[in-house]
Amino acid sequence: MSNTEDRRRFLTAGSLAAATGVVGNLLGRNVQAQEPMPMDMKGMSSHQHGEHATPQMPADSEVQAEYDGYSRFKPSRGNDPNSDYYLGKMMPGFRPASDGPAPFEAPDLDKLPYKMVGGVKEFQLVPMAVKREFLPGYEMNVYGYNGSMPGPTIEVTQGDRVRFVVTNELPEDTYVHWHGLELPVQWDGASELCQEPIKPGETFVYEFDVHEEGTFFYHSHVPMQEAFGMVGWFIVHPKKVFDPPVDRDFGLIFQNFFIDSSQNIADSWKMDWNWHTINGRSGPYTTPLVVKHGERVRVRIMNFAPMQHHPIHLHGHTFWLTGREGARTPHSAWIPRNTELVGIAQATDFEFIANNPGDWMFHCHMVHHMMNHMTEQVGPRMRRNTSVDDYLANLDSRPAVDSTRQDPGFGTPGYPQEMKGMNMSDAMMQKIGSRREMMGMRPMAEMAVMGLMTTLRVMPEDLYHKVMETDDLVEPGEVFTEIVKRFGDISKYNSGKKMMPGMKM
Amino acid sequence: MKRRLLHLLIALTATTTYQSAVAQDASMGQMMSMDRSMTQSLGGVDDQVLPESDLPPLPDMPSGFADFDTAYDYTDNATVEIHTLETVLALAAGNNPTIQQARLHVSAETSKALQAGLYPNPVLMYVGEKIGSDGSAGEFQGFEVSQRFVTAGKLQLSRLKYRQRAHVSEHLAIAQTYRVTNAVEVQFIEALAASMRLELQREIEKTAEDGAVTTREQYNQGQANLTAVRRANVMLQKQRLERMATENEYRDALRRLSAIVGVPLSIGPTEGELRPSNALESFDSVLSRLILESPEVLAVRAKLRVDQTTVRREQVEWIPDITIQGGPGYNFSNGDDVYNAGVQIELPIYDRNQGTIRQACQDLRRQQFEIQRIELHLKERLASAYRTYATALQHATEYDRVVIPELRAAYRQLLVSYKDNRIAWPDVLEGQRDYFQARMEQIDQFKHVRQQETMINGFLLDGGLMAAEGPVPPGHIDAVAKPR
Repeated sequence: MSNTEDRRRFLTAGSLAAATGVVGNLLGRNVQAQEPMPMDMKGMSSHQHGEHATPQMPADSEVQAEYDGYSRFKPSRGNDPNSDYYLGKMMPGFRPASDGPAPFEAPDLDKLPYKMVGGVKEFQLVPMAVKREFLPGYEMNVYGYNGSMPGPTIEVTQGDRVRFVVTNELPEDTYVHWHGLELPVQWDGASELCQEPIKPGETFVYEFDVHEEGTFFYHSHVPMQEAFGMVGWFIVHPKKVFDPPVDRDFGLIFQNFFIDSSQNIADSWKMDWNWHTINGRSGPYTTPLVVKHGERVRVRIMNFAPMQHHPIHLHGHTFWLTGREGARTPHSAWIPRNTELVGIAQATDFEFIANNPGDWMFHCHMVHHMMNHMTEQVGPRMRRNTSVDDYLANLDSRPAVDSTRQDPGFGTPGYPQEMKGMNMSDAMMQKIGSRREMMGMRPMAEMAVMGLMTTLRVMPEDLYHKVMETDDLVEPGEVFTEIVKRFGDISKYNSGKKMMPGMKM
Repeated sequence: MKRRLLHLLIALTATTTYQSAVAQDASMGQMMSMDRSMTQSLGGVDDQVLPESDLPPLPDMPSGFADFDTAYDYTDNATVEIHTLETVLALAAGNNPTIQQARLHVSAETSKALQAGLYPNPVLMYVGEKIGSDGSAGEFQGFEVSQRFVTAGKLQLSRLKYRQRAHVSEHLAIAQTYRVTNAVEVQFIEALAASMRLELQREIEKTAEDGAVTTREQYNQGQANLTAVRRANVMLQKQRLERMATENEYRDALRRLSAIVGVPLSIGPTEGELRPSNALESFDSVLSRLILESPEVLAVRAKLRVDQTTVRREQVEWIPDITIQGGPGYNFSNGDDVYNAGVQIELPIYDRNQGTIRQACQDLRRQQFEIQRIELHLKERLASAYRTYATALQHATEYDRVVIPELRAAYRQLLVSYKDNRIAWPDVLEGQRDYFQARMEQIDQFKHVRQQETMINGFLLDGGLMAAEGPVPPGHIDAVAKPR
């Protein structure tokens, strides 16, 4: 039986069932009110994005708004899967290749400065114990480099000769491995196999030529130090800018840690993880990737979790897999994806045209990675008329428990599945929401972003300018509402409630 | 040939396949039958997975024997009598029978002293002598009066001896007062501690109820199974029984206190401070004070003086008293008035009271050893009491200084962590239980400290309802009509 026949049979059966009311009774709703499944897909997208939204091309740009049916300003696929422009595959960004590679940006991480010494780019790298604020108020003890975890980004150009003066400020031996680079074996950093340990207080110098281009990273070659956070980007820009050129080049390092309650020291021996960070911060403290409508965006994702692979999913866009840490993939082998599994110690490059304005989730799809320090949802937080504050008010006599449990939810096995509880203090809310990258998002957007999550914000030029290039106050929901007005249907939009101090999240 | 071989192989394969299929069929049949039998054996409702609404309910309160006569809820009754240490001590002072007994021992000994010092009465006799002489009514018909004159200060010594015994009785009466007040205080502390523990048992019971509810919440989320729900019910009921046991303990303590006090006490609340104020001195200092001041030691030392007097008394016993007698009469033979006169004295030729003197000397020596025995016995009892006191005080101090504050802080941290969504509620319940249980343990430690402190400060005298002791052990030399 063909698929068409299958579908037809299903629709017929569904109609009959609806007519007799059987399914309607079972589901408790009027099935007849449902529209039939549309068989004609034409015109599906025209309703989604208002025709009144007509983004303008930058005056100085020579690229086009549309190539072969693919538009950089609205969700589209193009006319031909075999076209170079299908899903925006080869659609150039606004930035010309002649301007060189787009500046690499790893949100919340600094770049490692260098100085030229005899034609060599010389970097000072200091392995050390550091504190990192995963969430506002949650300052965790980990290891990193130069006061940062992950370490600062090393950025060079293909063909450079580099020198790393590594001074160990840890109280134990360490080694630095230049992950993925084809260098003389004596500089590989593999403990004992290639070099003596860098003792505490000692300095070791690595020097080699970089003939590769692409996404690499450096890390300690002591496993527990790796699990304790010792990693950083090593970005090698190609001599010849990749085609097509991108406007944005972001880097996100995904990591996991186990840190017990009432504790701020990571336990690298643990086989389980309860804290998840992107560039050293947990959602919603991760910094959104903010881009302009129509730009070509590259996101490099590196998974440095100790034992967990991460299926990375981007909402609202289809991206091309353009490279892994080994090398840039030839165009012919690029793959369009919505979700890509990034394995441990792998880096993957995604590219796409930001043609769908809005605030889009960008996250690991593992359910337990979409939250921090998750716990069983039993006890006062799910009981009626109780609060942990009542217990805290008098430690010497606890409130009685209501054993009758009036909550009708308990009639449903599995209730509750929603995480309930954690309060955000005013200071925490202020710190998260006061960053310009967060401004104008839908009220209480913070509640949606946990653990290995961040957001991709695609804004029209004027909104981008107001949020990112001025000091103007931007109210919660202001940008999101404006985007719905321009590209959606504002009459069917609920603007949400503003987040109040002490609100549960 | 080849074709025949092929046919043979096909036939063999078919047979094997058929046989294995039959075997498999049989084996499957057996398994199915086993499954069915297992299903049948698992037929009970309790073996099924139940919806939350059909879970075994939380157990009812224990409904067996209840101590109804004394059931009370004094928290709701403002008029109920509150017992304090001062009130029960005052009641005991007036009503404990052994204190009266001890006082009567003193009176009895002073009475003996009175009796022992009384001078012997004169004896009046009618005398008829030589009746029939010369056919007369007698040569002497008349009255004589005799009087025994006690020598060597026997009466004074006897009176002194019993006065000294009265003094022993006074020490023993003080000891008896200590026995009673110690017993009252120890029992009051027992009741006070039980009432405090009862409050904490009620807290732990709330936690056990929470544990049962929490397990049901976990069941609903697939995080606990039916077995865990049942076990949580059992834990709850066991805790309720623990609380009831403490209630019984409290009633027991009040009833025992009531017995020592000597009047009925209502089953009401007790009030007082369980926490000790000062630590005792070193063992040697405490022992020195006990030996110097203990009424027991003072009594046996006083008894030594009794025995010394007894020896002196017995040593003069052999010195003869002088009896003088005489009186007027009429001589019917001669028809004239006549008089009789005589002096009587015992000659201590054979009996010089040697045996009794020796016995008294033995008693005296025995009493010297008795002093030593009592002192050693005090040391022995103090050693045990001091150890219990020291251990309890060390524990209570460290519980006060470290254990309770740390567990309290841990419990608080658990609550804060729970509030932050960083730990599960069962962890908080565990911390809560640990905190309340440590406080219960500390109450027991304070109880031991206060009870041992009471005993040590009360000269280790116990037995508030034991009969009050007399000044001498039974069988002492008291077996004469006139005490001496």
